[in-house]
Order: sequence, then structure tokens, then C-alpha cells
Amino acid sequence: MVAAAALLVSAAVSGAMLGTPGPARAADKVTFTVGITNEVDSFNPFLGIEAESYEMWALTYDYMISYSMKDMSPQPGLATSWETSDDGLTWTFHIRSGVMFSDGVPLTAADIAYTYNRILDGGPEAASWSSYLTSVTKVEAPDPTTVVLTLKKPNAVLPLLPIPIVPEHIWKDVSEKDVKSYAAEPENGQPVVGSGPFRLVEGTAGGSTYRFEKNPDYWGGAPHIDEVVFRVFKSDDPMVQALIKGEIDFAEDVTPLQVKALQSQDGVTAVNGQSPGFDEIAFNTGAVDTETGKPIGDGNPALQDPKFRHALGYALDLNQIVDKVYQGAGLPGDTLIPPAYSNWRWTPPADEAFTFDLDKAGQLLDEAGYTQGADGKRTMPDGSPLGTLRLFARSESKTSMGTMTYFKEWLADLGIDAEVTNMESNKLTNVILDGDFDAFQWGWYVEPDPDSMLSYMTCDQRGGWSDSWYCNPEYDDLYEQQNSATDVAQRQDDVTRMQQILFADSPYLITEYNTYGEAFRSDRFACFEPQPDPGGILLFQYGVHNYLNIRPADQAGDCDGIATALGAQTEDGTPVSSGSGPGGGNDDEGNSTPMLVVGGVLLAALAAGGVVWAVRRRSTAAERE
Amino acid sequence: MTEPVPPGPAVAEIAAATQTTRRRSYGRYVLGKVGGAVGSLFFVTVVSFFLFRVLPGDPARTLGRGRFKTEAQLDAFRAEYGLDKPLPLQFLTYLKTTFSGDLGDSLRYRVPVSELIVDRLWPTVLLVGTATILATVIGVYLGVVSAWNRGRAVDRATTGVTLTLYSMPEWWLGLLLIAVFAVGLGPVTGVFPTGGLHSVDAEPGTVGYVADTAKHLALPVLTLTLAYLADYSLIMRSSLLDELGEDYLTTARAKGLRDVVVRRRHAVRNALLPTTTLIALSIGFVVSGAITVETVFSIPGLGLLATEALSIPDYPVLQGTFLVTSAAVIAANLFANLVYGLLDPRVRT
Repeated sequence: MVAAAALLVSAAVSGAMLGTPGPARAADKVTFTVGITNEVDSFNPFLGIEAESYEMWALTYDYMISYSMKDMSPQPGLATSWETSDDGLTWTFHIRSGVMFSDGVPLTAADIAYTYNRILDGGPEAASWSSYLTSVTKVEAPDPTTVVLTLKKPNAVLPLLPIPIVPEHIWKDVSEKDVKSYAAEPENGQPVVGSGPFRLVEGTAGGSTYRFEKNPDYWGGAPHIDEVVFRVFKSDDPMVQALIKGEIDFAEDVTPLQVKALQSQDGVTAVNGQSPGFDEIAFNTGAVDTETGKPIGDGNPALQDPKFRHALGYALDLNQIVDKVYQGAGLPGDTLIPPAYSNWRWTPPADEAFTFDLDKAGQLLDEAGYTQGADGKRTMPDGSPLGTLRLFARSESKTSMGTMTYFKEWLADLGIDAEVTNMESNKLTNVILDGDFDAFQWGWYVEPDPDSMLSYMTCDQRGGWSDSWYCNPEYDDLYEQQNSATDVAQRQDDVTRMQQILFADSPYLITEYNTYGEAFRSDRFACFEPQPDPGGILLFQYGVHNYLNIRPADQAGDCDGIATALGAQTEDGTPVSSGSGPGGGNDDEGNSTPMLVVGGVLLAALAAGGVVWAVRRRSTAAERE
Repeated sequence: MTEPVPPGPAVAEIAAATQTTRRRSYGRYVLGKVGGAVGSLFFVTVVSFFLFRVLPGDPARTLGRGRFKTEAQLDAFRAEYGLDKPLPLQFLTYLKTTFSGDLGDSLRYRVPVSELIVDRLWPTVLLVGTATILATVIGVYLGVVSAWNRGRAVDRATTGVTLTLYSMPEWWLGLLLIAVFAVGLGPVTGVFPTGGLHSVDAEPGTVGYVADTAKHLALPVLTLTLAYLADYSLIMRSSLLDELGEDYLTTARAKGLRDVVVRRRHAVRNALLPTTTLIALSIGFVVSGAITVETVFSIPGLGLLATEALSIPDYPVLQGTFLVTSAAVIAANLFANLVYGLLDPRVRT
């Protein structure tokens, strides 16, 4: 009551001081509100790391290239075309003219060269982006529409350059010393200067809302929506409630169970979209001290045998894992390049692919010498006991713990003892670096170019990002070869061969290809195109296609011919409900989410608790008297 | 905050006071207490550095997974934020910057920690502060009513309901309130927002903005208030019950005073002492936030900032929030001690 009074007083005071409330916002403004579950860590494109930050930069800035909706292959962005010299040491990009920054200054090749040179000059910029400019020694802009990259050795990853292009005339005032804590946020009501389809007008790193206004002069065409607002929710359930209520139009990263529940909700479309990442069971293939080459840790010697590891691939019922552990979302996995990247992916042929076949697994183990003793337990080829395999799961991930629990059971069926330990991923990282494990569950996100993912399995990455301690000179040679290939077909062959080697040696058993649950108000917005198309995710894609594609549901039409877009209207036009804007009427009485049932039960329990307590008190009081 | 805080140092000191006859002046008492507080603060500053370095994990690896792809990139990050230096050197740098008022830059958000704390302090103080005040006022009142009507229906109902609320998990109560009052259930329409601190389109500094913030805070404050009620009502109830048997109340009644006056002027005044300690301590903990409620209602407060920093671990943020919350608790404790010294000369041993 005191606080309420205080609020009233301060309201009156501030009202008196500032006069009338702020200007009312135009009623016909189309605002697209997205619920996300993680904050932006930095709006500075040289610093941020979280996926949310990448999404915000993609709205604010432009890039040298963009990505296709089908398979994320490179497409023209700021560069309309590019070519490379025969020796692969010079890349020439032809830059679009007529692109303007939001303050009216034109974006030219000089801004691109400036951005890349900041990275080549080291510092935090290099920490974030230098891997994309590997072997690049010089970036020049000989004229406003040409950028030339000079390399000391061919780099097959080009033209993958996911680096936001910043305006030189603004950033030249940000010194090398200051950039590590430079926020790049709106100041004094001025939006951040960028050339992207939207402008950040409100928001700070770690804040809970970010507001963008459209750039009506965007070179790729003006967006059909006026504003994009991101709202950070710190837990899933309230975010789903906000979507049902209509406070937000889109919910990013909801659980498979929530997707199921939302599918029966009127006016909401919910899907599990494929995202280019995988989960795996990784083995300790032989941890070593990277300086001396001497073994470290206490990994089980059986797991240093590729035959042993490969045999275990037949002891995983991936359909059951997807069904039970991932609630039916996700796809069974096989190799570390997800199906979305059809250019690079090798699919194991039917006679080589893993199936759930414990007999075959047992037979392969027998052949490799790991036979069952009299007690049914498998032994090492020399007859000594195999011991107990220590499986580690990440305690913050239900799917991690679930996968390892199943794996342990299947190992037991093979006559192999195992125990599961759940621990925080931070702690697990230390365990992995010390080599004190036999297997763990984790996952990776794979970029449109497979190079970095493939690099994590090289000998050089041991003690770095290699968590399986895998080392195979043949694989390393192929890695070097594909990394500096100038011929795409040759590189595809190498990448295929590398996947085959990894499949046979099995340092990883890929369990699942990831999906993300996404849901949106299809009664309000339409024309979401999935990436990869079909079956992919709708936001947080490579590029900002959907922020440009989507439009209010009643103006959707045929979505400009995007056949696969979600929410396109049929010819007869399904009725589009209106007037359920934020704070508007709530007509969702049919939303029988489990939470409400729980709520009812709880209110009853509360009442009952009060009564029981009262009765109990009465009886004890009576006894005392 | 979630469990009844024991009556605090004052009680022990009262006991100690009975054994000594010499009584210090208030000035010396204040000096001693302030000195102790400053010492504690210094101790906390030193400890917080080592406390968080013991946490498992390497910030460069946690943050950089899938982003800092090469060893060179990891090293560049470590060098930029001073994580490559030997620990003793990092400690000296930390002492130097902290005592000159600089809490360092967050490893995750890459902005000065002091800015982050200032940004997060206001929501936390609004949320937990309002809830603490409401819970104090309502809780003390309920406690008085309960004690005065001991054994009657009012007492049983109050005690039963506050204890049931107290034993409910805060996040559950919060989700429940969202389901009923934000989304709407049956005849109840959801008028309150599902989370956040204010609407995106609210203009700061206007009446609408304040009203909007109040609307956003209604459910989280209600959740916390309900959860905290039992703390105050039970302590108040039991200390008032202790007073009810005292002779001076019989005297007061014998003087012909009305029941209401006896209660207000005599009984409650004396019974308020333990509650005062509790309130003072609670105010200290206001700054540390209410992690579960901040999570459920997506309120960007200090509690969340600190918890999320743990998983990285973001050393400067952890050190900074630990320092600020410790300082608040130490200050509140000092305040309680000083007030006690005034109220009850026996504690100035």
C-alpha cells in the first residue's frame, strides 16, 4: 500500500513536471514482437558471441554475401559477384553501388576494407572474426565498388564472410584500446548507424527489450513491417503464455512439448524447424599432453580402438532416442555434416549405415577380440577385464542425461558395464581437457562451410576444441588439402572422404540432428520461409530473409510467390481475426494448457491447506484446554 | 529472504550484556560497529576474488565455443581481458582497480560492471523493496491480529494461509498468477502482462510510464509479498504472544485502558523489537534480488545477473555483484546495530 501510494505520488510528480504523456504512437504501425530466451551480449559486432547478437547485427548491418534459403550456399549480398585468380591467391569482389548508411553516408568498398582490416590488425576484432580471414594478408579497395583480398595461401572457406560491415566514418573514432568495451548502442535517441534493413533505436546489451525501426530505403526492398521488437523471457512457460495471450507474435526456441500443445491453439502455428547442428556421444580416443605427446588421463584403452568404438554405433537405437529423449523432435544422426548442407554431406549407404542391431554389435566386438567371459562381461583382447566405462552427461541438458541413460542400458545388453555421471558443462570441460573420461554427450552447431567443424577433429586441435582427442594423420592431410583447395569438386571429394574416415573410426557417434521449436501468431503475420527449405527454422537463420518476407496476415496474398512460406493465405482466404493486439481483449478461453489445470488444483490445495490447518489448530487448542 | 531470519546479533549481545556491568558510551559503540563493518567489507573484497576463481570453467572456452575457432582466437580474447596473466598479478590488478572504484568489464557483456549493476539495481529494488515493505506492513498487522485473537478462527486462518503460501515454491506461485491474472482463466480476464518491467512503447518520465511499470510489477510483487508474509506475521505473532503474559499489560488494563490502547501503546511496541531486526536484515537482502521471481517474470534484476554469470564464470560481474550485495547487507546490519544501541542501552557492552 505504501509502495502503491509512492507510485501514485511519483506518477503525479513526474506528470506535473513533464506535462502530458508522450506522443501516442500511430495506430496503424505494424509491430512484429519476438519472444527470445537469451539476451544480446553485445551490439558491437566485434565483440558479441550469442546467437541473439548475430541476429541483431544482421538487422542492423549488411554483409559481403548472403545465404540461399535452400541450403545456405553463398549468394550475392553487398557483393554482386566475385571471382578468384587461378592460383586462388587473389579474390576480387564487385560491390553494389547506391547502398546508404542510415545517416545518409554511402557505403563503399572502403568501408568493407576498413572492417576487414580492423580484424587483420588484431585485438578483440581478431578474437571474434580472424578465422574467416585465414591466410588473408591484405584487404584493399582500389575503387568504391571493388574489394580485393590478397592471400598467402588459397583459402577454400571464402567467400564465407559472415562479418557485419561497419561504417568507417563512425568507427574510426573508436580506438583499438576502447573497442573492447564499446557498446555500439543508440545514444541520445540516435539509432545505431548501419546499412541493414532495420535500425536499432532502443536496447542495451543484457537488456530485456530491443526495438528496431524499418529502413524504408533498404536496397533489398523496404520491409513490410514497420517495427521489430525483441522481448527477453527468462523462462519458457511465460513466453508461451504471452504468445497465447497475444503479447508477442513469435516465440523462439520453445520445447517440443510446447510445440505440441500450441498446435491445437487457434491462430497459432507451431513447428519444429531443422537447424544445422548435431548432438553426439564422444569418446576419449587417447588423451595426450600436447607438448610432450605422452598419454594423460585415465581413458579406457578399449576406446582407443576404432573397431570397438564403431561396433558401439550398432548399439544405439536412435529412433528411440529421438522419440523418448527429444520428444519426437529432431532427426537420427549419422555424420557430422547435417542434411541441410547437401553440398558437403556424405550419407552413409544402406549397407554401411548404423542400425540398432545388438547382435551385430556383439559380433563386431567378438571379432575385434572383446569377447564375453563366463560372467557375460566383455574383456579386453588379452583377457583382462574391460572395467566400467564412465559416461558423462551435462546436468543442464535433459537430452544429454537422457541419451546417456539409454546408452548405459544398451551397453549393459552388450555385456559392458557403464556408469553415468551428470555434471555442469564447465566442469565437464575440465574433465575432458584432463582426459579423465571414457565418453560424454555434447553437440555442435555447423556453419554453412564445413571447414571449422572438420578442423575440430584434427590432431592440432587436441587440447583446443578437439574433445575426443582424435588424431589421424590421413585425416589431417585431407583437412589441409580441402582447406586450401581451389577446385570445388575436388574439395567435395576430400570432405566426403573425411566423413567416411570419421564414420569408420567413430570418435563421435552422432545421435541427433537438432531442431528448434518455433511458434507464431498466424492470425497476424504470414509468409515465413523456412531455411533450409523445406523443413528449416523460421527466424535466427543465416540472413534476415523473413524480416523482409513477412507481412500482416490480411495482406499476405500469395507471399510474392514463395511457395513454401508458412501462413500464405488460400484463394478463398481463411478468416483473419483482428483486434487481439497487446493488451486487447482475450478470447482464448479454449487454451487448456496443463498449467491452468495445475493452477486450479493448486488453488484447491491452498484452500484445503488453510482449512486443514485451521481444523488442526482447533483440535490442538481444544486438547490444551 | 525465503526463511525466517533469526533475531540476529542483538539477542546474543543482550545475553552477553547481562554478564558485564561496565557500559560503553554510544560514541565508542558506534565507532566499534563502523570499524567492524569496514573490516568485513575489506575481507569480502579480498575473498570474492579467490572465491570465484575456484569455480570450474574457463570463460574463454565457455563463451567462445563455436565462435573462437582457433587457439589464437582464444588467446587473443584472454589477452584482451587480462585472463592470461598469472593469478597473483590478476589479484593485484583487481585490488588496485576495485579500490579506485572500477569494478572492471564484464566478460560476457563487454561493458563496465558498474553500468550493468546500476541498470539492474533499480528493477530489483523496485520489485523486492516494494514486496518487502508490503510484506512487512501486512505481515506485522496479521501477526498482531493473530496473536491478539490467539486460538480463534482469525488466528487459525491467518496462520494457515500464510504458512501455506510460505511453503509454496515462488516460481510455481508466480506461474499460477500468470495463468490466472495475465492470461485469464474462466471468468477472470488477464489484465496484467506476462512479464518484463515495462512496455516497449512506454515513454520514460510520463504518467503512463509509471502506471505501466506498476502494472508490470503487480504480479511479481504480489508473488513475493505472499511468499514473504509468513516471515513477518509469525515472528510478530510469537513475540506479541510473549508480551501478552507480562505484568505490565495487566497493570495497563487495571488502569482502565481500552483493549485497543493496551495493544497499540504497550504490547505491540515491545513486541516490535525482534521484527525490527528482521526488517533491517531484509532490507539488506533487497539488493541481492529474488532469483526465481526475476526468472519467472523476466525482470532484469541483480539476482539473475549474478546467477547467469556463474555459468561462464564471468569473474568481474560475480565479484561486483557479490561486493555490492555484501555491502548492502553489512550496511543494513550496521544500521540495525546502531538503532539497537539507541533503543536498548544494554547491547552497548
